[in-house]
Amino acid sequence: MGSAELLQYVVAGFKSGAIYALVALGFTLVYGSTGIINFAQGEFFMLGGVLSVFYYRLGLPLLLAALAGVVTTAGVGLAFERLALRPRRDAGALVLIIITIGGSMVMKSLTRHIFGPDEATLPEFTPGPSIAFGGVAIERQALWLWGLTIVAVLALTWLYRKTRFGRAMRACSLSHDAARLMGIDTARVVMVSFGLAAALGALAGLAVTPLTQTAWDVGATAGMKGFAAAILGGLGNPVASVIGGLVLGLLESLSVAFLSSTYKDAIALIVLLIVLFLRPQGLIGRARREKV
Amino acid sequence: MKRSMGVAAWMALVAVIGAVPLLTDDRYLLKVLVFVGINVIIVSGLALLFGYAGQISLGHAAFVGIGAYASAYVTSGLGLPWLVGVLAGTTLAAIGGLLLAMPSLRLRGHYLAMATLGFNEIMYVIFREARAVTGGNDGLSGIPFPEVLGVRMDTPASIYLLVWGTALVVVFLVANIVRGRPGRAMRGLHGSEIGALACGVDVARLKIRTFAVSAGLAGLAGTLYAHAVGFVAPSTFSLEQSVVLLAIVVVGGTGSLAGPVIASIALTLLPYADALIPGLGKDVIAFLQDWEADIYGIAMIVVVVLAPKGIGGLIRAARSRSRAEETG
Repeated sequence: MGSAELLQYVVAGFKSGAIYALVALGFTLVYGSTGIINFAQGEFFMLGGVLSVFYYRLGLPLLLAALAGVVTTAGVGLAFERLALRPRRDAGALVLIIITIGGSMVMKSLTRHIFGPDEATLPEFTPGPSIAFGGVAIERQALWLWGLTIVAVLALTWLYRKTRFGRAMRACSLSHDAARLMGIDTARVVMVSFGLAAALGALAGLAVTPLTQTAWDVGATAGMKGFAAAILGGLGNPVASVIGGLVLGLLESLSVAFLSSTYKDAIALIVLLIVLFLRPQGLIGRARREKV
Repeated sequence: MKRSMGVAAWMALVAVIGAVPLLTDDRYLLKVLVFVGINVIIVSGLALLFGYAGQISLGHAAFVGIGAYASAYVTSGLGLPWLVGVLAGTTLAAIGGLLLAMPSLRLRGHYLAMATLGFNEIMYVIFREARAVTGGNDGLSGIPFPEVLGVRMDTPASIYLLVWGTALVVVFLVANIVRGRPGRAMRGLHGSEIGALACGVDVARLKIRTFAVSAGLAGLAGTLYAHAVGFVAPSTFSLEQSVVLLAIVVVGGTGSLAGPVIASIALTLLPYADALIPGLGKDVIAFLQDWEADIYGIAMIVVVVLAPKGIGGLIRAARSRSRAEETG
């Protein structure tokens, strides 16, 4: 295999890696402020694509359709948290898992009922031929994906570190009770986290639609790979999640290059299980001791 | 008095189940009831694991698949007797449960859910890609009917009796497990792992054994499925199916066996309601089948939000009310 060909695989890996990173950021956001792993995160990814296609077909310009898709998905995320999760906010992990699993079933199935079972696509954001760079062809849409990922991780880091709301989120991740005693509206923090996570998932889902198409059933795989990325890097840390996503994308792409494409989808699963069993805090994260 | 009532209830259950093939020879109804019986077996095992020991599994469909493929391969591929296939399928699934449980000991809650989900997806890839054994996407067909000592169970009624006989034994065994010492230890584990540990429960051992038993029961159900239907394909053992099984246990209620068993009967019958209610229109059935996932998803959420103890909780509440009336 020539070096240009290998480089092409690396580019492809970082392309899907950026998607995994964006989904992983959604997991990290919700986990950071609630300790919940949101099993419906993949459905936000799916909704972003499907809803943007819907708005685009209504005749909205691409940018507005994308924006409307993100906003509607964020609305779904907010409503889901408010209606289904908040009533049992203080219940244990099992109950919350069940609620997010139930929510993902309903979102997925309702989408099929409302928008139909067919695959759909969006035009590229900036149509044009691939850009040749050092013997490697890079699709314009891939540049968008990388750009969006960089913007998302910078914005999130800024939010966490520099804003009042970010400080409230970090306080919630340490202890909800203590945060509430300090006058933080923890319910609002949780709800906004869900809304933001939904928006991020939607952004990933619609940005990849021109490359891979979208449909009602794309959420589960995206969610699973995004989670694998998040846990590979370290849940709760935005930069680590992005690194996890890129590493996972690269591993998948190299497995296609050197092994076979048959088991490409198993790579993320094997990574997921290995990390869970050996180093649940991720490559970068620090172990959390569980207190009695 | 309580004991004799328990015996009477079991006898009545046996009589009702045994009477069905005498009352009807409707092939469709018996076939639907076979699926119900198979789900009762899986759900009993999952209720033990989730409802009593508090360990989540999003991988039970994969254990069913291991049982089904193993038994199918052993009988139709290697030509060995049916009972060997059943033993192989059940054992292999139990070993799978064991192997998954051991590294999962450190994981709980969300992480365990993700690990079992990953396991189901990996098994799904294997079912699809290991064509030499599983037949790939086309699946395996021509799986022989169950046969013991030269008696072939090839009529719907005989398969019904086989499946429901097994289901009765399984429910009886699981009921005994939860009533005895292991059941108390599991409830302790569900309440507080550290509390159970402090009371001298060997938590690691209990978790691994419960996982293995639960997976083994799923495998047993898988072997029955393979020989009842005569055909297995990957899509039957997908993650969605694992989620459906978990939904049934959730609706049935934690800390209960009767609840999940009732839920598995009701929810499995739902999309085939026309087998019981002959006058039901085709459009109603089409609607129920089309909206199955929505119904399950909403049922899950509604139960944990509004009635967290599920059907089992309702049964307990009704019982304690009637007891209160008796003592006046």
